[in-house]
Amino acid sequence: MISTAKPLWEFRDVSKSYPGVVANDKVCIKLLPGSIHGLLGENGCGKSTLIKTLAGVQQPDSGSILRNGERVQIVSPQSAREMGIATVFQEFSSVPTLSVGENIFLGNMPRSRFGVVDWKKVHADAAAVLADMEFDIPTEAITGRLSVGEQQLVEIVKAVAIKATMVILDEPTAALGEEEIDRLHQLLRTMRGRGVSILYVSHRLDEVERIVDEVTILRNGRVVRASGETEINVSEIVAAMVGEEVGEHYPKECSSGHEVVLEARGLATSTGVVDASFKLHRGEVLGLGGVLGSGRTQIARALFGADDLTAGDIVLNGAIVRFRNEIDAICSGLALVPENRKSDGLFFNFRASGNITAASLRNLARFGVLDLETEAEATRVLIRDLEISKQAEQRTVNFLSGGNQQKIVIARWLFSDAQILILDEPTQGIDIGAKIALYTLINTLTRAGKSIILISSDHDELLAMSDRIAVVHHGVIRRTVKAADLTHDDLVRASGDPVDEHFEEALA
Amino acid sequence: MKRIFDNQLIGPFAAMVIMAVIVALTTERFLHPGNLSNLSLQVSIVALIAIGSTIVIYAAGIDLSSGSMVALLTMVFAQMLKSVGIPLALALPLLLLVGSLLGLVIGMITAYGRIPSFITTLAALIAFRGLALTFNNGSPVFSLDPALEPIFYGRLLGVPMPFFYLVFFYALAAFTMNFTKLGREIYAVGGNAAAAVLTGIDVKRVQTTTFVIAGFMTALGAVLMSARLNSGSPNYGQTLELQAIAAAVVGGASLAGGRGNILATLMGAMTIVIVQNGLNLNAAPSSVQNIVLGLIILIAVGIDMWRSEIASLMSRMLGRFRPSDATTASKAT
Repeated sequence: MISTAKPLWEFRDVSKSYPGVVANDKVCIKLLPGSIHGLLGENGCGKSTLIKTLAGVQQPDSGSILRNGERVQIVSPQSAREMGIATVFQEFSSVPTLSVGENIFLGNMPRSRFGVVDWKKVHADAAAVLADMEFDIPTEAITGRLSVGEQQLVEIVKAVAIKATMVILDEPTAALGEEEIDRLHQLLRTMRGRGVSILYVSHRLDEVERIVDEVTILRNGRVVRASGETEINVSEIVAAMVGEEVGEHYPKECSSGHEVVLEARGLATSTGVVDASFKLHRGEVLGLGGVLGSGRTQIARALFGADDLTAGDIVLNGAIVRFRNEIDAICSGLALVPENRKSDGLFFNFRASGNITAASLRNLARFGVLDLETEAEATRVLIRDLEISKQAEQRTVNFLSGGNQQKIVIARWLFSDAQILILDEPTQGIDIGAKIALYTLINTLTRAGKSIILISSDHDELLAMSDRIAVVHHGVIRRTVKAADLTHDDLVRASGDPVDEHFEEALA
Repeated sequence: MKRIFDNQLIGPFAAMVIMAVIVALTTERFLHPGNLSNLSLQVSIVALIAIGSTIVIYAAGIDLSSGSMVALLTMVFAQMLKSVGIPLALALPLLLLVGSLLGLVIGMITAYGRIPSFITTLAALIAFRGLALTFNNGSPVFSLDPALEPIFYGRLLGVPMPFFYLVFFYALAAFTMNFTKLGREIYAVGGNAAAAVLTGIDVKRVQTTTFVIAGFMTALGAVLMSARLNSGSPNYGQTLELQAIAAAVVGGASLAGGRGNILATLMGAMTIVIVQNGLNLNAAPSSVQNIVLGLIILIAVGIDMWRSEIASLMSRMLGRFRPSDATTASKAT
């Protein structure tokens, strides 16, 4: 496409080792101005190392970094910024209590003559940048009150405001819904049009396919496909990332029975669930689609007793139940694997054992004393069965990869023998191999007669892994449809379109 | 046993031994048997209270109230024994009950009222001291009961009684934290309260329980304090809460919660008392003692925070890598 252009940044044979592991092994990459470059690979392939080197967080052991063909050294994040490199990390670096304008200029606030912050100028300049990016948010808005998607866009506007020529995006869409992803992509295309070079890291291959101009794929610290060597197409990318042909990306098995185990009848909460009705069968995977903020997570919380119902009934195995809190729900055989496993799921101070038994301490204790032998044995078995890293037995879970961590959260509910599992974005931020392992695990669960409510923003995943799908729209679920009868487009339209008739139409 | 004596004890144990060696080398009288048994007396009150402070810290709370509560409880104790005339055998368990109830109130305000424990216990720190002054017109009460002194000064087989209290309560605390449902729940709440809620742990009840434990242990400290001085005073226990927290921190408890070994708190308390004892024997003024105590806290926490940097510096100096580093690094890529 623009392969004749001179690269803005170039890595030549850049290597970086950590004790015991070569994270980057003679990596070469060329980043062109006005181009969106996808950087792909499984967890631990060396993507983060490469990003950190470019962002000046660390120094390479060998090799050279060239800027416009000249050898440079990026000695610190400050020097990276001075050279026009901006990094948008997965975790936001905005201060949630400050206004959008303040965040945009954080660190280089315009000042008046007396060294005091010139607030008029801050907000005027911020408004100018926002308007320039066609981004409609008041600069006085408190950043923490914006939606996750809007906060993500603010992060990118920050990069624009410092006039960055090189923008690194690390998993920018991990927490975004379809609509917000579109908006983000639009913003990126605008920046590309202005000659900005963009390095885009993502696990969501469907969107990579849509947005990037070229890809570099890393495996075990080496470049296995340089840009131009791969067609930008999901199956080829997956094959290159994993290093082997992946037989089936979504190994779906159907185990759905006829017996209704859980029924929601007109659920409503004060948190945004308006009218949700659906049935869940034994051994079934019921997918909940919809955009971020549509109320999917709130429905899950309401089912789990975390939020109070203002209307409606939950019917469990034919009987109406009322959960006062999570403890009631757990005792009735429900489980929730939360969207954010780091903040809501895992105990980083525990090894696998403590994490796995956390929801079952009642059953594990006799007169308040824990049966540690049973705990150790059950942990060993689950680690073996779920193919969790052996390390998990000895070390606290912060040392594990995202995929292993997620398996441990699920193992917790296997140990508690939960019959209904609500999985909220279970594959978010984990690599493709771990995703497939998780899909297989879902099959194992349903085969054992457990039922699953799957919440996912990844439409392909939702379509492939669900037996039936309910689309949540402004807190409302009216109908559920067989997944096989829906296409990707239906789902996008049904969840994204604000007009109700269109929604009905899409599901019709 | 492996569970209890884990590697979290190495650092605090080393600190304690190093301090003891330094003091022993510089101070002749330190190793004198009389001084050593005096040490166990000195450490007993703060070390017992520190059990409660540490358990509160494990659940990601903080207890600033114990010093004032000691003063209040010694006055309540004095009132029971002298004014009301309750016999010691009844007054003693009653005082432990009062302490636990005060802990219960603090715990419930914190957990169910959703007020940070720093604030509730700061309020209690101030209010308890004031409450202590309302007894006996704010004057100390002396000569409580002759039967009180053996509780502190008595000996069994030549060993001071407080030594046995320490052994018993630290053993009980170590058992609770490592082998019981409650202990596991405390670590879970301190490690990640949001996750604890979603796994069906009654977080508020657990938080409250830690303050009840702290209240009980503080009452025990108040009994020993009364026995030691055979009196009650609204001025007792000044900065005791900070010493107890210091013992927990020097023992490696993370103020963020969820991490630490309760036996290390005993070592932390020992370390502090050994240093104080060494300074005392060398007739150092109390100003110096406080400065040194401040430095110890800073160094202990510093070593904890910079652990990975120190480890990598050491491994670089040794010119080889520890195998466990590899896994840490591969996670970072």
